[in-house]
Amino acid sequence: MNNQQEKNFIAEKVLDKIKSGEVKMKSRAYFVLRAVLLILGILVLTFFLIYFISFIIFSLRASGALFLPKFGFSGMKILFNALPWLLILIAATLIISLEIFAKRFTFVYRRPIIYSLLVIIIIVAAGSFLIDKTGFHPNLFRKAQERRLPAIGIIYRDFGAPRIGNAHHGVIFEVIKSGFKIETPCGEELTIIISSKTHFPLKADIKKGDVVVVLGKRSDGAVQAIDIRKVNKGRFFRR
Amino acid sequence: MEQKKSQQSDEDIAALVQAGDVDFFGVLIHRYKEKMIRYARKFLSDNEDISDIIQEIFIKAYTNIQSFDINRKFSSWLYRIAHNELVNALKKRKKNTLPLFDLDTFLPYSIKDDSFSQDIDSQDTQKMINKCLDQLEPKYREPIILYYLEDLSYKEIAEVMRIPISTVGIRIKRAKEKMKFIFKKLGYRL
Repeated sequence: MNNQQEKNFIAEKVLDKIKSGEVKMKSRAYFVLRAVLLILGILVLTFFLIYFISFIIFSLRASGALFLPKFGFSGMKILFNALPWLLILIAATLIISLEIFAKRFTFVYRRPIIYSLLVIIIIVAAGSFLIDKTGFHPNLFRKAQERRLPAIGIIYRDFGAPRIGNAHHGVIFEVIKSGFKIETPCGEELTIIISSKTHFPLKADIKKGDVVVVLGKRSDGAVQAIDIRKVNKGRFFRR
Repeated sequence: MEQKKSQQSDEDIAALVQAGDVDFFGVLIHRYKEKMIRYARKFLSDNEDISDIIQEIFIKAYTNIQSFDINRKFSSWLYRIAHNELVNALKKRKKNTLPLFDLDTFLPYSIKDDSFSQDIDSQDTQKMINKCLDQLEPKYREPIILYYLEDLSYKEIAEVMRIPISTVGIRIKRAKEKMKFIFKKLGYRL
């Protein structure tokens, strides 16, 4: 078959298939529905990502990990080990998925990935920051503690305020001779023992209702404090 | 009637096909079959494979024509379908194909300073392309084909390959550098 014959053969074969009904045109409604589903998918993914990242921030704050940089290098080391790497990895995967979805739009793929990635990160970070400012997660956390949150309650109980190594976060509910007693966000009570070796810059100011992060080894219900810092009160405590 | 058909733009004809006038799709096939065959030949060598792929390209174009926006260029849209078909064909044949992710799509590039390209553009670019094309990776080969042989603009190539416009520029620039090197290695003088 020469070149011209080959070209005509291709055209004829395609047109035959179309005219015989073997090949059918997809309707406009199909493409509209697909576009609507894509936009909906992007919106759902964005909201889920905002929820997810704000949950990670909440979890870091509730566990006290977010306050660890106040302890300097040793605090940073504990923070690095305490970071919820699995959740961070899931969040990164979700961001990449969102980028892949967004790349179906002309205004996204025409520009370098760094731009769309930055826009996604800014939107998600701003949304997470706003949610963090509300009592959304602390309320759900409290409900989960009181067993009034079905389905996702287990997530808040297991990952809401995880224990991190030798760092302990809680509100002071009683000042005693050897130190003070705190209640953690999970409702656990711990006795903090202060000794001459304890580094505690604002010792004189200590009072009931203060929120602290304590570094020290825990044994049963007591912690031999090495370092103590007062931090801002969150919305995690019942007292 | 025939004269009227030949005067109409691709986009007008596509609009008629969308409206249900199937016969007009034949006009689009006749306008593009040669270009599609030429394009596919730059990636595949087997004539039978090429014939099957060209049929598949036009069948896909017909089934999906309602998704075509008549305010945009039909040629870019059709080349996009062809690009996808060729990528799939290369994957099936386990040939060197386009990477899923490439660093050059990540960062912005300035494509203004291109004195090297002027140097090459003044030479016999077509001759050089035909001598070196097979030795280029597909990610460099495709923008060169689309730009020099199919006369598509950077913006249209970006549509076809779904990559940033600046990446098209940088890939063409790098492809020309590579071709210049290959050309010299083959013993030709620029």
